[in-house]
Amino acid sequence: MTTTEQEQRPASPSPTPAAPSAWRTRDILIAATIGVVFGVVFAVWNQIYAAFGFLQPPVLQDWVYGMWLVPAVLAPLIIRKPGAALFAEMAAASISALLGSQWGPDTLLSGFMQGAAAELVFAIVRYRRWSIGVLVVAALAAAVGAWAHDWFIYYAGASIELQVVRLVIMGVSAICFAALGSVALARSLRRAGVLEGFAD
Amino acid sequence: MTAAMLAPEIGPAQRESLLGRTNPLVKLGIALVWLLGLGLTIDVRPPLILTLVALVAGIQLGSLSPAVLARRLALLSLAALSIALTNLLFSTHNPDPLATELFRAGPLRVTLEAVEAAAGIGARVVSIISVGAVFALTTDATRLVDSLVQLARVSPRFAYGLLAAYQAVPRLANDLGTLRGARRLRGLREWHPRLLVGLLVRAIRHADQLAIAMDARGFGSGPRTTYRPVRWTLLDAVAAAAAFVILVAALVLAG
Amino acid sequence: MGAAFTYAGSPRPAFQDLDLEVEPGTLLLVVGPSGSGKSTLARAVAGLLPSQFAGEWQGSLRVGDIEVALEPPTDDAPPPTTSQLGAGIVLQDPASQLVMERVGDDVAFGLENLAWPMVTMRQRVPVVLAEVGLRGFEGRRSARLSGGEQQRVAISGVLAPTPGVLVLDEPTANLDPAGAAAVMGILGGIRSNRAATIVLVEHRAALAWPIADLVLALDDDGRPIDLGPPADVLARSGERLARAGIWLPEPAPEPASPRQPGAAPGVLPILELEGVRFGFDPARPVLRAVGLRVEQGERVSLTGPNGSGKTTLLRLALGLLRPVAGAVRLGGRNPWRMPPMQLSRLAGYSVQDPELGFLAETVRDEVELGLEPEQVRFAHELCERLRLPLEAFADRSPYQLSGGEQRRLSLVTGLARRPLLLALDEPTFGQDRRGHEALVEALDELVGQGSAVLAATHDERFVRDATDRRIELAESWVAADEAVRP
Repeated sequence: MTTTEQEQRPASPSPTPAAPSAWRTRDILIAATIGVVFGVVFAVWNQIYAAFGFLQPPVLQDWVYGMWLVPAVLAPLIIRKPGAALFAEMAAASISALLGSQWGPDTLLSGFMQGAAAELVFAIVRYRRWSIGVLVVAALAAAVGAWAHDWFIYYAGASIELQVVRLVIMGVSAICFAALGSVALARSLRRAGVLEGFAD
Repeated sequence: MTAAMLAPEIGPAQRESLLGRTNPLVKLGIALVWLLGLGLTIDVRPPLILTLVALVAGIQLGSLSPAVLARRLALLSLAALSIALTNLLFSTHNPDPLATELFRAGPLRVTLEAVEAAAGIGARVVSIISVGAVFALTTDATRLVDSLVQLARVSPRFAYGLLAAYQAVPRLANDLGTLRGARRLRGLREWHPRLLVGLLVRAIRHADQLAIAMDARGFGSGPRTTYRPVRWTLLDAVAAAAAFVILVAALVLAG
Repeated sequence: MGAAFTYAGSPRPAFQDLDLEVEPGTLLLVVGPSGSGKSTLARAVAGLLPSQFAGEWQGSLRVGDIEVALEPPTDDAPPPTTSQLGAGIVLQDPASQLVMERVGDDVAFGLENLAWPMVTMRQRVPVVLAEVGLRGFEGRRSARLSGGEQQRVAISGVLAPTPGVLVLDEPTANLDPAGAAAVMGILGGIRSNRAATIVLVEHRAALAWPIADLVLALDDDGRPIDLGPPADVLARSGERLARAGIWLPEPAPEPASPRQPGAAPGVLPILELEGVRFGFDPARPVLRAVGLRVEQGERVSLTGPNGSGKTTLLRLALGLLRPVAGAVRLGGRNPWRMPPMQLSRLAGYSVQDPELGFLAETVRDEVELGLEPEQVRFAHELCERLRLPLEAFADRSPYQLSGGEQRRLSLVTGLARRPLLLALDEPTFGQDRRGHEALVEALDELVGQGSAVLAATHDERFVRDATDRRIELAESWVAADEAVRP
């Protein structure tokens, strides 16, 4: 990069050779911010989801479910530190609960299930592999976590066929939004220069 | 959508009310225990009892205006209807030949048992919505985070990091409005996935600056003291006990 | 050889050949054109290089007794932190420094991190708030304060642990004149008590030069042009400073290019507002009963303190907000809900915060987004004139540009369609002198072709150089509507 007004931006980050798993303040703030941005997005998405419940056959509204899983994939993809998936998803869930989401404190429960499931996948590959395959598996894991939670809380009376159909739809949505969406977002953010100092 | 809608501000009346003074962790604990307790039954009565308790407590003990509460619930209750409908149409009871058939329309058979179960789950969602609204409208974010750090031993770096990031919510709502306006003035339709990139770039840039400012003020540099000590009080114990008794009573009532 | 610092990945030092010593209690003012390494120097003194920004040092820089120009620090020798240096830094954007929701909590944040006892903090917070003129603000919400008040909260948070060195990196850049004057007054007070050594990077020459003990002027390459007491620097090197694009504490000389007269006003009304009222909270409207008319060939500046409704008025004029009462007509029609294509032909908008107007991945895509071939040619020409030549900038990301470059890119996108109304929000913010002059010239040309300018601004130079009429807003009313005296 050959800018002539280098000192204005970008904020090139710390080269401090700390342990790779230690969180710098910058890592915490960026993961938290991804959580906050998506907490706000969820506030909009909750309305879309509710509206979809009436515009088409029920269950099909779960095509948009993947949006709720993005922080659990996007934050670890950028930060690449243990705990990023869980922290960002829980952050988004708490913000959305504080902003008055219709799911209330249950957001925390489902956020925990989604974040922890994705976190597990990243832990299994020891936070070393970030291929699209791993991201897809993490997104699917988050979807499974959400699905299990929903079965218990929201669809306890519904048939097993419905549960399977939901799982499939949520899985596809998770791949589109959480896995592919995160890759696209991370690429745009990198181009914009705000991720300098983070792994490519 | 305005910033004011997005970030509910807790007024002094709500903050000083009994519910406002109850520790946020206690309220959160009550909400989660109630939620799990309701998972034990699909009877329609317990969630309706808890809904009633939450709303009355919000108005009487939390100084919430019934109008504000009603407006919030009306909008959110759409979700309860849609979930109840799904549970009704796809109920395990519908194909059961022993279940009491109410009506049949083509391939669809609706049974009395399915209606009961769907009503129970719809009521469960309504209670989640009500408890959530009362929690959000009587809980101060700073106090919640102080309690998480001081009473629940959550890492102060992560907790205050999130709280600092949370301050950006009104700004994010404004940024979104400006980005949409800029699209219009360039002859483009307002909503586009690209908005998310603009929003995230700004938010991450902001987070970078904030991280520098916080580090420069010694954040995470060593042991930390607190300006706002939080302690458990008698009120917290009473609230927790009362909430537990109410949950048990509601469940017992349903048998 | 003096001190120099080069950012990782940059071919040249941000500043170099620096050789100076500052006595305790001195106020050092650092001035220079965009890109002269002023902010880098501020960061260096606050100990942020290279702990927060990767790069390489040459020479030495000591703050108190501590060397900060360290080669890449290691785990054994971690870099000194800002608080270990006894320093504190205030950044440009007040909102990005406020950590806590309420003012008192925010001021206490740094004290908590340094493990002050609670009782001492409770005593210190009101004292330091009073020092910045915010007595009794402890329970207020930072988000509800004006930019100037927010910046004073940020300053009090940095002052609370009584730093020996106070660094301020363009602390008034986002403030209106009243807010900026208040901040400078506080710095003047600290300086006269000799309570701390102050390093101040500041564009507002008229406010900053009088309170400075020493002025350090840097050139485009980050080399010192001059260093000394303000009066000496002005006398010795005033002309060189002006040539380098540095604002001086004197009325600016006339712009180099003669101004073209605008088209004769009175031809066609472009924008009309009648009895326009706006505000989410009926008790506190942002604007009440505003009426105005802007005609072809007019150059109008919209002035007034922060929060007086300038941006709101622009957004109403562009149909981005709907008035609670009254009527808005843009090109004779109501702009609210107007199809975007039609709206984009009538008006161009350069937003206050350029990044919030960017919609593409590269500068070229940004410039050409939605334009017709004829407009593309003009847009390229504008890039050239506003010093954003596409040969150099086409493939860069708009978000990667400097603040001044972003502003000019935003102006290119606002002007490229030659719309009837050029709605500009703080068009000269962050511009050095050369950027300012190029803009005035481009606007004059478009106005000569029949457009009108409506520009919200705090910049009195721009009001004088680029507009003929001033509409002053105060407390949600039009307080004055008058010709600009040349």
